[in-house]
Amino acid sequence: MRRLSLSSRLALLFAACTAVVSLFAGVLFSRASEAHFVELDQQLLDGKLIGVRRALQDLHSSTSETRLADELSRQADLSLRITGSDGQRRYESSTQLPQALPRQPGLFTVSHEGTAYRVLNAPLYPDQANSPQLTLLLDITHHQHFLQRMQRLIWLTVGLSALATALLGAWAARSGLRPLRRMSTIASGVSAQSLSSRLPEENMPPELAEMAHSFNAMLGRLDDSFQRLSAFSADIAHELRTPLSNLLTHTQVTLTRPRPIEDYREALHSNLEELQWMAQLVNDMLYLAKADHGLLVPTRQSLELAEEADLLLEFFAPLAEDTRVTLGREGHGRIEGDRSMLRRALSNLLDNALRFTPVDGQVRLRIAEQPKQLSIIVENSGEGISAQLLPRLFDRFYRADPARHEGSSEHAGLGLAITQSIVRAHGGQIRCESENGWTRFVIELPKGE
Amino acid sequence: MKLLIVEDQHKTGLYLRQGLTEAGFNTELVADGSTGQQLALSGDYALLILDVMLPGRDGWQILQAVRSAGLDTPVLFLTARDAVDDRVHGLELGADDYLVKPFAFSELLARVRSLLRRGSVAPQETSLHLADLRLDLIRRRVERSGQRIDLTAKEFALLEMLLRRQGEVLPKSLIASQVWDMNFDSDTNVIEVAIRRLRLKIDDEFPNKLIHTVRGMGYVLEERPT
Repeated sequence: MRRLSLSSRLALLFAACTAVVSLFAGVLFSRASEAHFVELDQQLLDGKLIGVRRALQDLHSSTSETRLADELSRQADLSLRITGSDGQRRYESSTQLPQALPRQPGLFTVSHEGTAYRVLNAPLYPDQANSPQLTLLLDITHHQHFLQRMQRLIWLTVGLSALATALLGAWAARSGLRPLRRMSTIASGVSAQSLSSRLPEENMPPELAEMAHSFNAMLGRLDDSFQRLSAFSADIAHELRTPLSNLLTHTQVTLTRPRPIEDYREALHSNLEELQWMAQLVNDMLYLAKADHGLLVPTRQSLELAEEADLLLEFFAPLAEDTRVTLGREGHGRIEGDRSMLRRALSNLLDNALRFTPVDGQVRLRIAEQPKQLSIIVENSGEGISAQLLPRLFDRFYRADPARHEGSSEHAGLGLAITQSIVRAHGGQIRCESENGWTRFVIELPKGE
Repeated sequence: MKLLIVEDQHKTGLYLRQGLTEAGFNTELVADGSTGQQLALSGDYALLILDVMLPGRDGWQILQAVRSAGLDTPVLFLTARDAVDDRVHGLELGADDYLVKPFAFSELLARVRSLLRRGSVAPQETSLHLADLRLDLIRRRVERSGQRIDLTAKEFALLEMLLRRQGEVLPKSLIASQVWDMNFDSDTNVIEVAIRRLRLKIDDEFPNKLIHTVRGMGYVLEERPT
């Protein structure tokens, strides 16, 4: 089933509301006018009753009949019936009066052969027990006609006003929802090529401004990720192009003429180095791709970080001793995490730190446990990193030294990006600070409950 | 000692067979899962090397069939997939090891040797030696030509590994994993430095060098004719 459009829904709701309100008003008005008519009739009939009673003060007087006729003639639409206490009809002012009428005293409304009457029953002599009964009948057909006309008018008003508000409502809804349509036009225009378009937030109604803001923020994030991804793809192509072209050239050149066996061996070795570098790059990129797709799910085991840190420092000891760098660890803490992933993350940081620490420098690993989180800080002495480069450190393929050296020992520049992915997969954050001759990578990991 | 490779990628299979045959193993190669399973169930093999994605029956199905037939032949999986689930799945089914493509042949060879060695109980040795190099496992002392050499604990462990697997090319990743328990991809040159420092103590003062670098593959401890 197709859902109704928002404008149609609003228009129908407006129409329904107007119909209900005008119907209610109409019913109220028609009730009130009917009550008003009854009141008027009551007053009129009460007045006539007094006249009739006065005319009939003495039934046996000869003048009473004339006085009665006189009294009745003053009101053309008034008729009278007098019934004796035995139920016998004594007098009727008109022959077309309805036969069956209520007999109890009081005011009634009766309809007979297309004519409506207001009927008032009252005893002729209120103080006598067996008094004859007076029945005054007032023809109120014109009242009824008026009321019917009014009811028709009310229904017509209800219908027309509902229709009018439906149309006006539809128009109002459409123009009110125009910013939404503008939003949808822009949204439908968004593609990989045009992530830069934004909604104007200033002239949006307040209800939509927030949505427009979120929408723009989403576009911004998309744009940013997309830029990074495009840069990443371009970088991949670039990174692979150099070793590939080396492989191609070297292999073709080697094969152009017969050579001593040593040359072939040398060529294969050289190719092997390029290939290993490429394999490492592909594996690292797959690891990052997995992280991007949320497939990097750390296992949770309880780790004593001091132990892990000491093992890593022992691993890096030969490298540190080589440049007489002092390695040290401070603090301890326990965390739920993936042992091999965290080792990889920290080993990248330590490797990185050792690479940039001058001879006789220091590399420290500090663990600080706080109530809600745990910080692991890897810091090294030495020339700092300039502030504008800090945010770019975790970018893929970013290298502090822009010129890439030949050979398999060169790093692909994915280490810090991988560390960041691992930290994020653990729900943590990593940042880098550099001041006063120390460069500091700070990992903050939330502690499990 | 017969090995079975079930690998549908023609080139990969051929190179693996060539490599393993030249390393001294009697190797058989089949390209489809069903034949692979039949052969694996014969129980004639000391080790199965299975690709996960195979025509006919996949590697996991073969592994299941082998295990439910009561065979405990070691199984090494090769796969292009690297999802953690795959790894866990393979190990749950009873795989003994797992290599993700692209892998280095030296890595595969080292793991094959480890798996084959696993079954046989190594005799309790008290010392290891090669040429004039002697490593006393009980007193934890190393001598060369009767001359005492001081090693750190990790250097001792590294030399012990090299001696136990003398003649085998040991890739850096395997050394990192066995000596330091570091089981992750890393492009650090710690192992190079550690080997260089070990060489300084073991080889530098002696004319016949024992630790050799196999370019692009790893390190080997062996006596080479000068």
